[in-house]
Amino acid sequence: MMSVNRFTSGRLPVFLRKSPFYYSRAYLHQTCVFKQNKETAQDSPELLAKSSHLNSKPLDVSNKAPVKTAQNKIPLAHSKYESSKYELPKWKEALGELVIRAFHLDMDRVRAGPVAGSYYYKICKEQGLQYEDEPLSETAKYFYEDLKLPRTFSQWFQITVLHEWILFVRMRAMPFKYGRNYQQKLVDRTFSDIELRLFEEMKVNSGRIADQYLKDFNTQLRGAIFAYDEGFATDDGTLATAVWRNLFGGRKNIDMVHLESVVRYIYSQLYVLSRLSDREFATGKFKFVPPGVKVEKLTPKQEEELKAKTIAKYEALDKDPKTLPSERSRLSYTN
Amino acid sequence: MSSSQVVRDSAKKLVNLLEKYPKDRIHHLVSFRDVQIARFRRVAGLPNVDDKGKSIKEKKPSLDEIKSIINRTSGPLGLNKEMLTKIQNKMVDEKFTEESINEQIRALSTIMNNKFRNYYDIGDKLYKPAGNPQYYQRLINAVDGKKKESLFTAMRTVLFGK
Repeated sequence: MMSVNRFTSGRLPVFLRKSPFYYSRAYLHQTCVFKQNKETAQDSPELLAKSSHLNSKPLDVSNKAPVKTAQNKIPLAHSKYESSKYELPKWKEALGELVIRAFHLDMDRVRAGPVAGSYYYKICKEQGLQYEDEPLSETAKYFYEDLKLPRTFSQWFQITVLHEWILFVRMRAMPFKYGRNYQQKLVDRTFSDIELRLFEEMKVNSGRIADQYLKDFNTQLRGAIFAYDEGFATDDGTLATAVWRNLFGGRKNIDMVHLESVVRYIYSQLYVLSRLSDREFATGKFKFVPPGVKVEKLTPKQEEELKAKTIAKYEALDKDPKTLPSERSRLSYTN
Repeated sequence: MSSSQVVRDSAKKLVNLLEKYPKDRIHHLVSFRDVQIARFRRVAGLPNVDDKGKSIKEKKPSLDEIKSIINRTSGPLGLNKEMLTKIQNKMVDEKFTEESINEQIRALSTIMNNKFRNYYDIGDKLYKPAGNPQYYQRLINAVDGKKKESLFTAMRTVLFGK
């Protein structure tokens, strides 16, 4: 749908802009949630992982197949409509708006594709993305260097699944119809992308073998989501066990400090998500807090201010007659 | 007290701590608790015991097995299944210092005390998600075996998603 693509092309570049690794500002509408100063920096998951003095060398026999860059590198976004540079012609945009208005399309439902299937998948994928001959990104350094995870394709998958699960937890708190749709779109996109990467980057030639891998990844996904859910619903011990089994592949000489660091990382992401309203989350106003940043808790006063700001923003947007039909949403901005 | 003695004592503490670690609710291929207890019992110089309290001796490969490894040509790495499990069960020799082992204790007790769960107080917005408030409760009930899904509830989940 054209009008939807407008959303992707027009809005998203704002979030996707590359920003310096250390944030001095918050994501939550410019409030001071993640103030980064030297004192608090002591406590970020990354520094926690680095602080360990146990110089463990994990047995790494699996790294026989590094991920190679494909000849034509697969972009994070596959279609031209997803590119941050693409702009929809004005007439197409107008036509799209007209269609939405005429047929009363449910934009919250339509938006699941560009937001969950494209943007949210992109940020999950980026976290652990690595290629043999390219320097690691800052987040990837946390996973592969600080946590000493092997640089393989399946390890990338585990990192992606962890981030997808974090988003799932928030999606469940959306109205059922929409949250479910968001989850579905995210998973669909994951597997279509993996299939492509298996052929292009891992040089799997046979469709049958690729199918076997996909089935295997599917099983891993189910197992990991279940295990993380169980941990989330019970206690940190169970969550840490789930992380150990999935992310660390059951490494025997695990460094407990690394485990603690990941648990901290997970909770800080979930905290940010829990403070976002449905409307903000559903329109893609979230990105993962880098592991080098400590998430400070909001004081009740700050929380109120934040809520008031959000409400004021979306009330104005809803009242404004100039707001385009494609930008309208019925999701709550008060929760 | 020599530093190796301190490490051994700390490892004993760690084993005691791990024994209080929550047990897996369902059976997995590996159990974090068991693997780590075995690991730190070794560091503490305690004999490893199985479920019934009998000590397990770590077997070294016999001369025949070594000969067999050298002569074998088929199978992955020229090894048979039995040998592979032996390698899998092998523990890595680790060097702990006072500092590193105390860090392990601190990290583990942080996890066991739910420090981050309590600090980042996420709230019922995510623990009882609006779209599916019973989701986690049903999951835990099923895992604990408290309340089994009936055919009706199972079909309902399949058809309607919740």
